[in-house]
Amino acid sequence: MTSSAPKPPRGHFSILYFASASSFTGRDAESLPAPMPLSRLFSELETRHPGIRAKILDSCLVTVNLDYVDVPGEGEEGPVIREADEVAIIPPVSSG
Amino acid sequence: MDYIENLRREIAQREAELQDLRARLVKAEAEKSTAESDKDRSLNGEAWKWPLEEHEYERYSRQMIVPNFGLKGQLNIKNAKVLLVGAGGLGCPAAAYLAGAGVGTLGLVDGDAVEVSNLHRQVAHSTARVGMMKVDSAVAYLKGLNPTITYHAHATHLTPQNAEEIVSQYDVVLDCTDHPTSRYLISDICVLLSKPLISASAFQTSGQLIVLNNPPGRGPCYRCVFPKPPPPESVVGCGEGGIVGPVVGVMGVLQALEAIKLLVRGDHHHRLKSVDGTEEEEDGQKQVGMLLFSGMGDVPFRTVRMRGKRKGCFACAGDDSALTLAELKNSMDYVQFCGVNEPVKLLRPEERISVAEYERISREKRAHVLLDVREKEHFELCSIPGSVNVPISRFTARREGMGLDGLIPGGELLPPDAPIYVVCRVGNDSQIAAKKLKDWGVDRDGERFVGDVLGGLRAWKDGVDPSLPFI
Repeated sequence: MTSSAPKPPRGHFSILYFASASSFTGRDAESLPAPMPLSRLFSELETRHPGIRAKILDSCLVTVNLDYVDVPGEGEEGPVIREADEVAIIPPVSSG
Repeated sequence: MDYIENLRREIAQREAELQDLRARLVKAEAEKSTAESDKDRSLNGEAWKWPLEEHEYERYSRQMIVPNFGLKGQLNIKNAKVLLVGAGGLGCPAAAYLAGAGVGTLGLVDGDAVEVSNLHRQVAHSTARVGMMKVDSAVAYLKGLNPTITYHAHATHLTPQNAEEIVSQYDVVLDCTDHPTSRYLISDICVLLSKPLISASAFQTSGQLIVLNNPPGRGPCYRCVFPKPPPPESVVGCGEGGIVGPVVGVMGVLQALEAIKLLVRGDHHHRLKSVDGTEEEEDGQKQVGMLLFSGMGDVPFRTVRMRGKRKGCFACAGDDSALTLAELKNSMDYVQFCGVNEPVKLLRPEERISVAEYERISREKRAHVLLDVREKEHFELCSIPGSVNVPISRFTARREGMGLDGLIPGGELLPPDAPIYVVCRVGNDSQIAAKKLKDWGVDRDGERFVGDVLGGLRAWKDGVDPSLPFI
């Protein structure tokens, strides 16, 4: 697996922002504390980047370690993001 | 001006005609040489006994001798009909490589005309053909490249009404368009007509590529990957957000490669085979990857593994609830589904000033601040004299408790009641920024005017300074 993000520090995972997610957050990647239930990812990102949920997250696809994941609703059971995982926020690019 | 315009148009027209004549000549020569060889051979009592025509061996040999491509691959390509929707930054390079490879029939759909601002990336067009329909311009270029295949130019946008008629004539579709509405429409019609779809996109420095509905009815469709369209205000086209030529070029070339792979393998015949009762793959699903290209990143290419079809997908679920051809044609409103970008209405009329008013204020040298909230690259190209640049992202990124430092450069040197005017490209972001400043108390409960310039730089160009070179 290739990754451009610097290895996240101990106890963290890295999150990559593609296309409009990168322009919205003003960065290509950052590190967040791990472990974190996948169901809490969106609310955590909304706290860090207010407005990102409606503008980006609701219509994007999410991968963990390059595998597509369904993000469970808040409070629902689901997988946990672990230390050193690589999460990607991939909004649709429509133009061409 | 009209005279010059007419001359240009006439030259473009004649050049296209010339190009067409040259293409016909090459084709006729190729046929004549084949016919003469045939004649020679028949005089010698032997017939042409090879599956491709003589000139095709010369033209396509370099790809045919590649391992696993072979004669069979070439025949598959020759017998295929491929449709490209969009003859722009993706469609031009994709069409060039598909024409070069000898796809039997290439169709192009586009309702736009060539503009000068297209030429840095839309490599099939030319300065001489500005103003021509893109499909005609592209076909003129492609005939120069390979006059021996068949081209169909559909000089229209793809719509729910014409989609079935156009797409049904082809085996494989390439989505080379530039908007969510067309992306959902193309995916839906490909699902309904069982056509594999090669979808690519590009914006600024990044791109995406995915092969959808392959094999037809079994691979995921665009809705499986992106069930919900992005909010309309976040959809920015290349005209406004920009695009680096080779970035979209890479994506178009990769699209052509995916199409060639698919044709050489014969994937597009898969459905027919299964109808014949031939063995299908065990689980019926193939691993689908989406390629992400970051043109300026340290890792330019990444592939993420997708799940297969989405359960209950609106288009491809294959049950009674799924979309039908009649519904697509008669009741699907893709514009409504993707949402319309309504003009922002955050400020009251008395909170907005006209460009003429601002011009007077600036001429009378009254103390004020003019904030231009466009991105810095736009601001660098041209701006209103005296304006200072604070991109809108600086306003949207500010959170409660953070200082206002830097959001009003030079503000501290002015009287506390000096008005603040905000300007942007057309007058939407300027309202958002002005509203935020007011919410943060910068207007000192009405003591200080905070508002925007109605219509932005576009109105300034129309009403005050027509010399602005770019909006």
